[in-house]
Amino acid sequence: MDRIALHNTLPCVFEGREVQSDIWSQDITFQKGETILVEASSGTGKSSLCSYIIGYRKDYLGNILFDGSDIRQYSVSDWTSIRQHTLSLLFQELRLFPELTALENVQIKNGLTGHKRLCEIEDWFQRLGIADKMEAKVGRMSFGQQQRVAMIRALVQPFDFLMVDEPISHLDDENSAIMAEIMMEEARSQGAGVIVTSIGKHMNMSYDKTYRL
Amino acid sequence: MMSLVWKLLRQHISIAQLAGFFFANLFGMFIVLLGLQFYNDVKPLFSQEDGFLKPEYLIVSKRISGVSVLGAGESCSFSQKDIQDITSQPFCKSVGAFTASQYRVICSLGMKGVAQMGTEMFFESVPDRFVDTDLSQWKFDPQEGVIPIVLPRTYLAIYNFGYAQSQSLPKISEGIVGMIDMVVVLRGNGQEERLKGKVIGFSSRLNTILVPESFIQWSNAKFAPEADLAPNRLIVEVSNPTDDAIVKYINEHNLELEDDKLDVGKATYFLRVVTVLVMCIGMLISVLSFYILMLSIYLLVQKNTEKLRNLLLIGYSPVRVSLPYQLLTIGMNGVVLLLSFILLYMVRSYYMDTLWVMFPQMQDGSMLPALSLGFCLFAVVSIINIIAVRNRVMKIWNRKE
Repeated sequence: MDRIALHNTLPCVFEGREVQSDIWSQDITFQKGETILVEASSGTGKSSLCSYIIGYRKDYLGNILFDGSDIRQYSVSDWTSIRQHTLSLLFQELRLFPELTALENVQIKNGLTGHKRLCEIEDWFQRLGIADKMEAKVGRMSFGQQQRVAMIRALVQPFDFLMVDEPISHLDDENSAIMAEIMMEEARSQGAGVIVTSIGKHMNMSYDKTYRL
Repeated sequence: MMSLVWKLLRQHISIAQLAGFFFANLFGMFIVLLGLQFYNDVKPLFSQEDGFLKPEYLIVSKRISGVSVLGAGESCSFSQKDIQDITSQPFCKSVGAFTASQYRVICSLGMKGVAQMGTEMFFESVPDRFVDTDLSQWKFDPQEGVIPIVLPRTYLAIYNFGYAQSQSLPKISEGIVGMIDMVVVLRGNGQEERLKGKVIGFSSRLNTILVPESFIQWSNAKFAPEADLAPNRLIVEVSNPTDDAIVKYINEHNLELEDDKLDVGKATYFLRVVTVLVMCIGMLISVLSFYILMLSIYLLVQKNTEKLRNLLLIGYSPVRVSLPYQLLTIGMNGVVLLLSFILLYMVRSYYMDTLWVMFPQMQDGSMLPALSLGFCLFAVVSIINIIAVRNRVMKIWNRKE
């Protein structure tokens, strides 16, 4: 997939409201290979945008097109395939499984895609400073540690676009720099586009475009 | 990886609920299958035609009153006029007379030439056309001196269950009876003759010691030439045994029907009713247990909704996340089916042993109908389970949960 286009897209709840946004009710296109920052205030529909693009919610007006085809028409198997091979999302609420260990949370995704070897995954745990937590239950980890696990999980699949929804809200500068580094290494190796959303603090990287939601 | 998914989705499984389903379903399935199997096994005993008499034959005798016992009243035997009257009735197709031996008969039984017990007895015959057996054996030749005999089946039962059991003697099957040496001594008219008897079969309906008519004629002529041969019992061939006119005629002429055909009909009917009732109860238990399973699975899916949703969002297909629960239900249904079969087999062996002792001529019925029914129930329940789980997961996919 090379392009994600939004045509006059607007969350249904905003209908009839005066919305000042670079994205809502505009015609914009995210290109593969670009690094984009979406800055938002609370309640401007940042998580809704992610949910629409991952196919989780459809309560919007206008259209969202992947390479020109309307995603409303996608079937269950289309979405399953997209979520496995084309589009990866780091959820703001992480959506990890607290009953499983950190490594199992990553393996449950990697087992599906078979994308990364165990040593590569272990290397990421090492670099992100949570190697000692690999066998710990995620439910017992701090939110900052969980964010790092969720990032690793988001990376163990092939993708054309990677969306990260407030990935560093609970991380210090050092760890967020490492996370940005790993993320961009992986995105570049796949030639993928990266869409980072932020509600204030954002990853310190060079962005091709910055949108205000 | 499937084990990781299972590790996640098995959270909140209630062992108590599943055990409840398991035993309820096992119980229900077992009752349904046993009902059908028992019906199949027992039905032939009720519906089989007697091997020696066709179903449309009735046996008629005169009702014995207190007066006739003293010899003062009407005769117990049928006169030629009586027979002609019955023959002329519209329901009657033909009439045959029972002819009794008019001389003394002493019979001793033994094996391998050693006499074991002896008794006085009598013989009766009906015309050969009324006897529906292998007529090649149903012949008497004075030169050979072997009398073919058909015994009432109740004799065997009385021996096996009354005598042999209490005296710790071995039970005898119908096959073995044919091997017993039977020496028959006929005495009368100043003569005596020793002949061999051979039991060639048993009758459930004909309550007499039956021998070929040719033998009775020969022996009566030889040992009791003077005797009165008026029959005490008649065998009547009718076109329709349930005809009301028969009952009416019988009552009007103070006759008795010696037959249990109507009782057999009733018994078969009750057997069917009871079987259907038992199967319905089993079905009901099965349906209720199935309901427990569905509730249990729904509850499980409900409690694990968030996990299922997260799995779907990270790229798992609905088919894949449904699979553990579908396998769980199919597995349980399968185990229930298997255990039902095993239980059925055990219980059936138990009751069949008893039935074989009581009805040695019974044929070994097939377990196929019960097994097929079991598989059908398994398939139907499993398919509904599969669809129901899938629907629940699709509700989560569509954000309706």
